[in-house]
Amino acid sequence: MSLRERSPGRTAEDGEDAAGALAEPDGSDRCLSLLPWDRFSAWLHCVCVVGFDLELGQAVEVIYPPHSKLTDKEVKYCLLVYLFPYVGCLGDTQFCFRFRQSPGRKVSFCCFLDQLDRDLPVYLKKDPAYYYGYVYFRQVRDKSLKRGYFQKSLVLISKLPYIHLFRTMLKQIAPEYFEKSEAFLEAVCSDVDRWPPPIPGKILHLPVMGIIMKLRIPTYRDKPGTTPVVQNMHQADAQISMALPTVHEVDLFRCFCPVFFHIQMLWELVLLGEPLVVMAPSPSESSETVLALVSCISPLKYCSDFRPYFTIHDSEFKEYTTRTQAPPSVILGVTNPFFAKTLQHWPHIIRIGDLKLPGEVPKQVKVKKLKNLKTLDSKPGVYTSYKPYLNKDEEIVKQLQKGVQQKRPTEAQSVILRRYFLELTESFIIPLERYVASLMPLQKCISPWKSPPQLRQFSQDDFMKTLEKAGPQLTSGLKGDWIGLYRHFLKSPNFDGWFRSRQKEMTQKLEALHLEALCNENLVFWSQKHTEVETVDLVLKLKNKLLQADREHLPVKTDTLKKLQTHINDIILALPEDLQDILLKTGTT
Amino acid sequence: MNILAPVRRDRVITDLPPCFRKEAALHPRSSFHPTVSSACQEQRTGTVGFKISKIIVVGDLSVGKTCLINRFCKDTFDKNYKATIGVDFEMERFEVLGVPFSLQLWDTAGQERFKCIASTYYRGAQAIVIVFDVNDVASLEHTRQWLADALKENDPSNVILFLVGSKKDLSTPAQYNLMEKDALKVAQEMQAEYWAVSSLTGENVRDFFFRVAALTFESSVLAELERSSARRIGDTVRISSNESDLYLSAPRKKPKCCQ
Repeated sequence: MSLRERSPGRTAEDGEDAAGALAEPDGSDRCLSLLPWDRFSAWLHCVCVVGFDLELGQAVEVIYPPHSKLTDKEVKYCLLVYLFPYVGCLGDTQFCFRFRQSPGRKVSFCCFLDQLDRDLPVYLKKDPAYYYGYVYFRQVRDKSLKRGYFQKSLVLISKLPYIHLFRTMLKQIAPEYFEKSEAFLEAVCSDVDRWPPPIPGKILHLPVMGIIMKLRIPTYRDKPGTTPVVQNMHQADAQISMALPTVHEVDLFRCFCPVFFHIQMLWELVLLGEPLVVMAPSPSESSETVLALVSCISPLKYCSDFRPYFTIHDSEFKEYTTRTQAPPSVILGVTNPFFAKTLQHWPHIIRIGDLKLPGEVPKQVKVKKLKNLKTLDSKPGVYTSYKPYLNKDEEIVKQLQKGVQQKRPTEAQSVILRRYFLELTESFIIPLERYVASLMPLQKCISPWKSPPQLRQFSQDDFMKTLEKAGPQLTSGLKGDWIGLYRHFLKSPNFDGWFRSRQKEMTQKLEALHLEALCNENLVFWSQKHTEVETVDLVLKLKNKLLQADREHLPVKTDTLKKLQTHINDIILALPEDLQDILLKTGTT
Repeated sequence: MNILAPVRRDRVITDLPPCFRKEAALHPRSSFHPTVSSACQEQRTGTVGFKISKIIVVGDLSVGKTCLINRFCKDTFDKNYKATIGVDFEMERFEVLGVPFSLQLWDTAGQERFKCIASTYYRGAQAIVIVFDVNDVASLEHTRQWLADALKENDPSNVILFLVGSKKDLSTPAQYNLMEKDALKVAQEMQAEYWAVSSLTGENVRDFFFRVAALTFESSVLAELERSSARRIGDTVRISSNESDLYLSAPRKKPKCCQ
């Protein structure tokens, strides 16, 4: 730091600037100790190349980073399973899959990255048990090869659900990689190993292959639907930098186009966590549609399992397709015709043909009967006997149809559709939010001398009563059996997941308020009026509180913890000297 | 919303930094192009305010490309040699004539095995910095090849070239002077601006990068103004004779070594 910045005459703004400029890179470097691959693993688990050999079948040809820890069986297994070259698509395809990490695996633990996760909106939080695989697959004729075809996949494995980012990145790197050498992949990995950590809410500049990807990961503080968009200031910059409008969103309209008369029913099915299967002609369509379904209830998190591309080799294949139990609450994307039979008993099946660009919107409006679904040759459409709770919203269908006629770009159609889903989901969830907020004890119940009060129990009846006056009718004009929809939802995994995360948040808030109440007490005065034993007990309890606040990142004001520490020190200093020594030495255990 | 970190106070350029040798300078003027100065003064720079320029640094293995960048960006020097894998990347923010301006510095690997991929990284460069070791004649010889490779991916009329001799501290004045004669010749042939630096002592490093920033800024503002005036065909066009400078609008001739 230059002398000028340290001089007392500086303005407040100067100080802030200097601190901001220095603190950020330092902070992240310190937490991500700078071993090779540390930065890389904040973004990616590994990068690999899977080739197909006539004699050997699929084989992992290259894997980065090369250390053994990462070339574990499960990764290999998954690649072999998923990347079975499928017939019928020459050229380049991109898709994504998701798989469960094998149970024996140690969950990697890095408190810094955990903290990043905390700032994410709930639907983008990492699920520690799952990986995503992002695939770029090339299948072209090559007479020089024995098989007559060049078949190779470049795969990025990551815990991050940033579909658009990794898709864009693969599109950049894969074609070049297939043309060039392995050194190229090494260089790409070393690029990623130089990326700043995935901090939500910051504009990140990610260099890859001579280009900078500019993007912003949303935070939970963003108002849904208004996430600031990163833009390229310059056309001329296009060659050296690329602004990504989103990291995670899919092209909703394109995905829902084949079934767009049923979007509202599909929203209900996803919201309720109903078992759904998407039968598509290729993995890229199955994966996009599944991801679109999962994202249509955003900002709610879809809490059950979903597999954008599920195959018969999957380790959960038996578990999910068994006929001895009711179908599980999952969304599966499949391409293998075999599933048409295996999953015949599933209650809701979406059958899509090739995703076409709009201009051609299916005219079929009716929901099809399940018994008509025999093979994968069946017509595209939604096969179910489900009766939606809500009346159909004709407005949105008309609006989108009009857009098609007027040749509105799909991006714009997607924005309309996303906003529609968002409003619907918010109308649905606001009454629940309001009711759950009322379960919070009153501020006056928080006493520094008692443990923090408990949340009141969730009562379905009480909640239903609030709907009469403050139900979704306040924000949505949609008529129908909202009560029935809520009843059904309260039994679903999505409600369970949502309620748990609210409960956790509110309990932490209570803990934080309790801490603040403690800080505002004159603790030294209290200890003087009490026996030594009680005082020592208080000190130990306070120390534990501090530890907890740190561990759980409790939402306390920044000076609260400092104040509490001062209180503790003051109390200790008021005690006899021999006791002081012991208490100061006692680590906060 | 604060999109980028603020510009450091020691990255502010108000006057055109001088060249290193008059014999091999990009242009002889001692101050910014009048069009550029007045545009910045009147804040007519439009979108230049957020402009980024890409600089690629190329040259033989272990001539000190990474050290040069590290000396400037981090003010550090590491005596241990560590080969660059693929490409290193640094971003430096400046303020030139009151306008924020960023330099993307792409530090490429000198190793042979990365040569085939390097072209991907060269695209869209606005300036090419070719580094050689002033104690190694062969590395100077190779600069022509490095330039030829880098120009394959870029429009030769739109890039600015710098020829930089490194490790000046390791050379005696007599040895250096001998080498400089050759280097100046190469630089003139390439139409590159010549510099000699030492990343160990820091000699000329800052001056060099300031010059790079100032010249790329100048050329990008000129290009921007040219583009926007071309776009406004049909609008009133102001013609003032003192603003034309034939030197700058003349297209760069293809360097001899690439013909």
